[in-house]
Amino acid sequence: MPFPTESALVYVVDDDPALCRSLRFLLETEGWPVRLFESAESFLDEIGHQSRPVRPCCLLLDIRMPAMSGLELQQVLRERGFDAPILFMTGHADVPMAVQAMKCRACDFIEKPFDDQAVLDAVAAAVRRCADMLDEAHRREAARSALSHLSLREQEVAHLVARGQPNKLIAAELGISEKTVHIHRQHVMEKAGVSSAVELARLFLRADPGALD
Amino acid sequence: MRFGDERGPSAWFAWRRLAYCLLLSLGLALRFSPTYAEAGGARQDVAIGVLAYQGELAAALDWAPLTRFLNDHVPGYRFHLEHFDADSLREAIRDRHVDLVVTNPGHYVVLENEFGLSRIATLDSPQALSPDRGTGSALIVRSDRSDLQTLGDLRGKRLAAMAPDAFGGYLLVVREMLAQGIDAESTLKEIHFLGVPMMRTVTAVQRGEADVGVVRSCFIEQAAARGVLRLEDFRVLGDRRGSDAGVAAFPCGLTTPLYPDWPIAVTRTIGHGLSKQVAQALLAMPADTGMAWTVPADYQSVHALYRELRTGPYAHLRDITLAGLLRRFWPALLVLALVLAAWGVQTVRVEHLVQRRTAELRASLRARDAAEARVRGHQEQMEHLSRLSILGELSGSLAHEINQPLTTIGNYARSLLRRHADGRLSEAAVVEACSEIDSEAERAGDVMRRIRDFARKRSAVREPVDMPKLVDSARKLIEGMLLQAPPIVCESSLPPGCEVLADASQLQQVLLNLMKNAIDAGRDLPPERQTIVIRLEVVDKRLVVQLIDQGCGLSAERQAHLFEPFFTTKPDGLGLGLPICKTIVEAHGGRLWAQSNVPSGMCFSFSLPCHAVSD
Repeated sequence: MPFPTESALVYVVDDDPALCRSLRFLLETEGWPVRLFESAESFLDEIGHQSRPVRPCCLLLDIRMPAMSGLELQQVLRERGFDAPILFMTGHADVPMAVQAMKCRACDFIEKPFDDQAVLDAVAAAVRRCADMLDEAHRREAARSALSHLSLREQEVAHLVARGQPNKLIAAELGISEKTVHIHRQHVMEKAGVSSAVELARLFLRADPGALD
Repeated sequence: MRFGDERGPSAWFAWRRLAYCLLLSLGLALRFSPTYAEAGGARQDVAIGVLAYQGELAAALDWAPLTRFLNDHVPGYRFHLEHFDADSLREAIRDRHVDLVVTNPGHYVVLENEFGLSRIATLDSPQALSPDRGTGSALIVRSDRSDLQTLGDLRGKRLAAMAPDAFGGYLLVVREMLAQGIDAESTLKEIHFLGVPMMRTVTAVQRGEADVGVVRSCFIEQAAARGVLRLEDFRVLGDRRGSDAGVAAFPCGLTTPLYPDWPIAVTRTIGHGLSKQVAQALLAMPADTGMAWTVPADYQSVHALYRELRTGPYAHLRDITLAGLLRRFWPALLVLALVLAAWGVQTVRVEHLVQRRTAELRASLRARDAAEARVRGHQEQMEHLSRLSILGELSGSLAHEINQPLTTIGNYARSLLRRHADGRLSEAAVVEACSEIDSEAERAGDVMRRIRDFARKRSAVREPVDMPKLVDSARKLIEGMLLQAPPIVCESSLPPGCEVLADASQLQQVLLNLMKNAIDAGRDLPPERQTIVIRLEVVDKRLVVQLIDQGCGLSAERQAHLFEPFFTTKPDGLGLGLPICKTIVEAHGGRLWAQSNVPSGMCFSFSLPCHAVSD
């Protein structure tokens, strides 16, 4: 995915509207779509009940805001599982807060006044991280969806096939005839859209990394 | 009698002299009463001073023929004897109490040199080989001391002698020993000087109190003749008569060469005529009187002896030998050594004490320094904390609020540059950005205005303030805060009862701030330049407070920015002190300004309207 991209989005949350606008002016220079919010609450309203960003994005979040602070917003988003990367904007005296913010894995912080290049680099990196994350999530969901169409028996057979067991042993384990196993296996391959046991195993792992343990 | 005139002798000495004198007078009176009877009262007195080496009575008897003969043969004069030891004879000559002097050759050359005596005759004793070879010394030992044969055997022995300056009784032997390469003082173990009479020396040898004794030649022979001792009890050590043909004919035992016999000399009290008369009489004195005189002998050999021994008239030549000094002064030296040792011990002890005390002092100084450093540390910490609290207070409003427009302005400016570089800069974007920059700059200016309002808002309290009292309390406060506050002198020419209407705590803040600045200005200067003067006066119905330091001052350029917020000349300063002071003073209807002080430093002044000046 080329960056910046039209499908991405940068949210700026700062109680200072002038600063928000200046950031938009800066980010648009590089072609980033930007949305501004003057409070944490208005941002939460905007994303509604989304548990996940719908498109690659990141948050430029002011740590210090009058009502809900940046850190509090971070906490709420984490609880919701809304895991868009966050770039905290800090003033000189906010270092202890910044340290706390850094405990979050997906976070970075930039200090006011900004170095424009630093802001742009951090945004690009964050959005890319978010895109990777969403991509991974999409593929997982696709795998799950493919597997969800199998009947119970087909799931049992598919699981054993993915573990690399021959039909004979599967038949013995499930107490059915080898021929029946063969038929189920064909259905599984068709429904899941795979052509080999290896591909089936990969599908299982994509849906659930611990599936074959 | 002259004894009454004697100056200085001890009472004991005077008594002894008196006793001998009475005895002598009695003896003379008994023996020579006819002469004295004849003498009547018309004859002129002539005193003959005699060295009484055997005691005064013996001397009186020995020299009686002399006075008798002279009284008989020199008309018009009455000669009488005065007896002295060597020192008192010298004093008598010096004091012109004697006219004629009879003494041993050694003593004579000393006196000749000192008082200009001149000999008129030399004793011609029966044993003399010639006038200049009449007397010598004998070293006597007990005849049973077979271990003592030559002078070389005297090493480590005890010697008895008469006196250090005795001629026949000491010096002749010393010279002889020296001639044989023996230094008497360092070779002998002890030398006992027994004084007169010479018999004491003989007795000491006889009793074994001394190993060897020095006596005048013929002394023991004459004593033996008088039956006083037995000649066979003694032996003369190194008798020269066996080795020196020139003295073989000498009738007595002899250790040393022979020297001229005793002279008789005239002092300066006596006229030439009388000298001649006496000399003539003496030369004519027949041997049967028991005493004969001859022409004055050559006393060069005696001079030679003194020169060689570097004593008597040649004492200045004496070179002091260490061994001799040691022997002579060992008790004194021992005492000296002990004193030195004690002094040394004391010195070491004092040194030790000094070192210990110094170390203690250092330790206590170190402890004090550490305490001071601790206090300073606390103080710095407190100052730091107070700065932080100001910063904390400010960062909530000021720092954040300045940071926001700054960031915004920066964002627009850089974005414009980026767009321009990419060739995508639209006119609309320029207008948008610049109007945003303009309003943000306005916003930053508002922040500064709010700082000034900050002080104004608080200046609600207005009450009469006694400025000298306020200055004093501020001075005490700052002296309490700083460990080494420099002197702060307050000179007030305010009329009594001069007051201003003000918020005392805010004015105190101003004073503290200005004092702190003044102290900082003088911090690294010599103490005499650290003094700070605070001057209070009334000018045009306004109370003026001046704080004057003697620091390095500030350039005109710096002075121009002094009251701008965040302008500071201190490495750790915030640059808010003076702006706040200025707003406080101005809020009180006053003015705060700074000017250079002559010759050095700065003068910060503020004026406030006077509330009341009671007349």
